[in-house]
Amino acid sequence: MTDLVYVAICVGFFAVAIAYTYGCQKLLGGSHD
Amino acid sequence: MTALATLQLLLFFGLLLLLTKPLGAYMARVFAGEKTLLHRALGGLERATYRLLGVDPEEDMKWTSYALAMLVFSLATLIFTYGALRLQGVLPLNPQGFGAKQMPADLAFNTAVSFTTNTNWQAYSPEVTVSYFSNMVALAIHNWASAAVGIAIAIALTRGFARKSASGIGNFWADVVRGTLYMLLPLCLVGAVIFLAMGVPQSFEPYSTVTTLEGGKQTIAFGAVASQEIIKQLGTNGGGIFNANSAHPFENPSPLSNFFTLVLIWSIPAAITHTFGKMVGNAKQGWALFGAMAALAIAGVVICTSAEQAGTPHLAAAHIDTAASALQAGGNMEGKEVRFGIASSALFATVTTGASCGAVNAMHDSFTPLGGLVPLFNMLTGEVIFGGVGAGLYGMLMFAILAVFIAGLMVGRTPEYIGKKIEKFEVQMAMLATLVLAASVLGFAALSSTIDLPKEGFWASLNTWLGSAYGAADTVYGAATGNLNNAGAHGFGEIFYAYASGTGNNGSAFAGITANTPWYNVTIGLAMLIGRFLMIIPLLAMAGALAKKGHVPASSGTFPTDTPTFAGLLVGVVLIVGALTYFPGLALGPVVEHFQMQALATH
Repeated sequence: MTDLVYVAICVGFFAVAIAYTYGCQKLLGGSHD
Repeated sequence: MTALATLQLLLFFGLLLLLTKPLGAYMARVFAGEKTLLHRALGGLERATYRLLGVDPEEDMKWTSYALAMLVFSLATLIFTYGALRLQGVLPLNPQGFGAKQMPADLAFNTAVSFTTNTNWQAYSPEVTVSYFSNMVALAIHNWASAAVGIAIAIALTRGFARKSASGIGNFWADVVRGTLYMLLPLCLVGAVIFLAMGVPQSFEPYSTVTTLEGGKQTIAFGAVASQEIIKQLGTNGGGIFNANSAHPFENPSPLSNFFTLVLIWSIPAAITHTFGKMVGNAKQGWALFGAMAALAIAGVVICTSAEQAGTPHLAAAHIDTAASALQAGGNMEGKEVRFGIASSALFATVTTGASCGAVNAMHDSFTPLGGLVPLFNMLTGEVIFGGVGAGLYGMLMFAILAVFIAGLMVGRTPEYIGKKIEKFEVQMAMLATLVLAASVLGFAALSSTIDLPKEGFWASLNTWLGSAYGAADTVYGAATGNLNNAGAHGFGEIFYAYASGTGNNGSAFAGITANTPWYNVTIGLAMLIGRFLMIIPLLAMAGALAKKGHVPASSGTFPTDTPTFAGLLVGVVLIVGALTYFPGLALGPVVEHFQMQALATH
C-alpha cells in the first residue's frame, strides 16, 4: 500500500510534467502560428 | 590565498583549458553522427541497442516528442530503481543482508528520484543501507543514464541554435545511446583503471572486521568502488559509496586522486562549451561561455579559499595559531580532511557545487559563513559555473537568452543570439525555467522553516503510514525545528542549502540536518523532480522554437555575443538574477551568521 502511494506520486508528477509540456507547446503555438 | 592554493588553481584551470578543445570537438563529432575511431569497436553495440529499443536513430524528433521520450525514459528507470531498492533483500550481491528495513518507502522514493535526476542526494549512510546490487545496478544505472540525458538535452538546445527552419531537434534515443557509448563508456573504462592504480578498491567481498590497536572491533566497509567512483565524478553525479563521500580514503585516497577527481568533474561541462561553439559554427561563441563560467569559478574559489584560510575570530580569541605553515594548513580546518587541507577542500567545494556533482571532500556545514556562502550561491545560480554534464550548458544558455534580452532592452533593438531572433516565447521560457527553480527553493525552504509539525497526530501517524523506519518511541517528525543540529541563522542555512541542493540537482549536503524523515524525503524528492524536469521542458520548448527560425544576418546593430564584453554581461546577469532572487534567503542565513561570527556570538 505504502509503495503504491510513492509510485502514484512519481506517476502523478510525470503526468503533470506531460501536461506542462503541452502547456508550453500551446504557448508556442500561440506565439508563432 | 597561499602560494600553493594559487598554484593548484592555475594548474587546474590550465589542464581544464587543455582538455576543453579536443574533448569538445570529439563530442561535436559524436552528436553529429560522424564516425570516430570508437565506431569500429562499438558501432555494432549501438545498432543492437537501437534494435532492442525498437527506435529509428535517424528519426528527427519535434521538441514535444523529444521531451516525451525523455520523460517516459526517466519515469521507467525511476520506477525500476524504486522497486530494486525496496526489494534489495531478495536480490543478489547482498552479503550484508540489507533489506527493506534499511530502505523504507519514503527513503526509497527520495533515493530513486535523487539518482534519476542526477542529484544523488543521499539521506542515508550508504555502507549501512544499500547492497552491492543496489549500488551497482539500481543506482549506477542512473549515474550513466542521467548524465547521458543531461548531455542530450544540452545538445538538443544547441541544435535549436544551429539549425535553420527545421522542425526537429534530433533524436533523444540516439543522443543518449551515443553519449553513453562513445563518451562515458570509454572515459570511465580508462578512469576506473586510473582510480584502481591510485588505490581505490574494487571488491565484492563482505565487509571486514578487524581488531584495532586499542583492542576494539572495527568493521571496514568496501565494495566495487573504482567502477562507481569514476562515473560518480565524470557524470557529475556525486553519490558516494561511503557516507564520508570523497573525504573517505577508499573513494579519494590522496591529493593526487583529489586533483584527478576535480578535473573529472569539470571536464565534460567545460568541453561541451566548445561542442556548442563547433555545432553553431563559431567556436568563439563557446569560448565566450567558457570565459563567463571561468570568471565566476575563479571568483568563487578565491572567496571560498580566502574565507577558510582566514579562520574565525573564535580561533583567534582562543589564541590558536591559524597561520599556514609547513606543518599546518592553518585557517579553519573544522570539517576538513588533513590530507587535503584548506586549498583542496575550498577548491573541491567550489567545483562540486559549480557543477551539479555534489561529491564532497569536506563538510560544508563547518565552513565559515562566507566560505559556505560560495557553494550555496553556486547552486542557487542553477549550477551554471561549468555546471552538470549538459545541465551547465543549457542553464548558461538560459542566462544568455536573458542577457541578450536585457542588452536589447538597453539599446531598443530585437535581441539576437547566434543569428536567431530572441522573441517573446524564448524569453517566456527562460523566465519560466528561472522562476520554477526559485519557487521550489524558496517555497520549500520557507515551509520547512516555519511548519512545526506536532509530535502527535497527523505527521506522527503519517510517519507510520508512509512506512518510515522510525519507531513510535524515536519518531523523527515535523520539519525544521525537530531535525536541525543548529539553531538560528546557521540552522536556516542548513534548510536553505538542502532545498538549493535538491532543486539544483546538486546533492551535496550541509550535513547539519537530519534529512531522513518523511517530510524531508518527500519534499526534497519533489524539489529534485521540479528542478530537473520543469526546468528542462521549457528549454526544450525554446530549442523547438529556435530550430524553426531562420538565421538573421549580422548587421551593424547586432550585439556580438562572442566577445569578452558579452561574457562580462553574462556574468553580470547570472550574479544579478541570483542575488535578486535569493538575497533574502542568503541574508537570513550566511550573511547574518557572518556578522554574528564577527561579533563572537554563538548563534
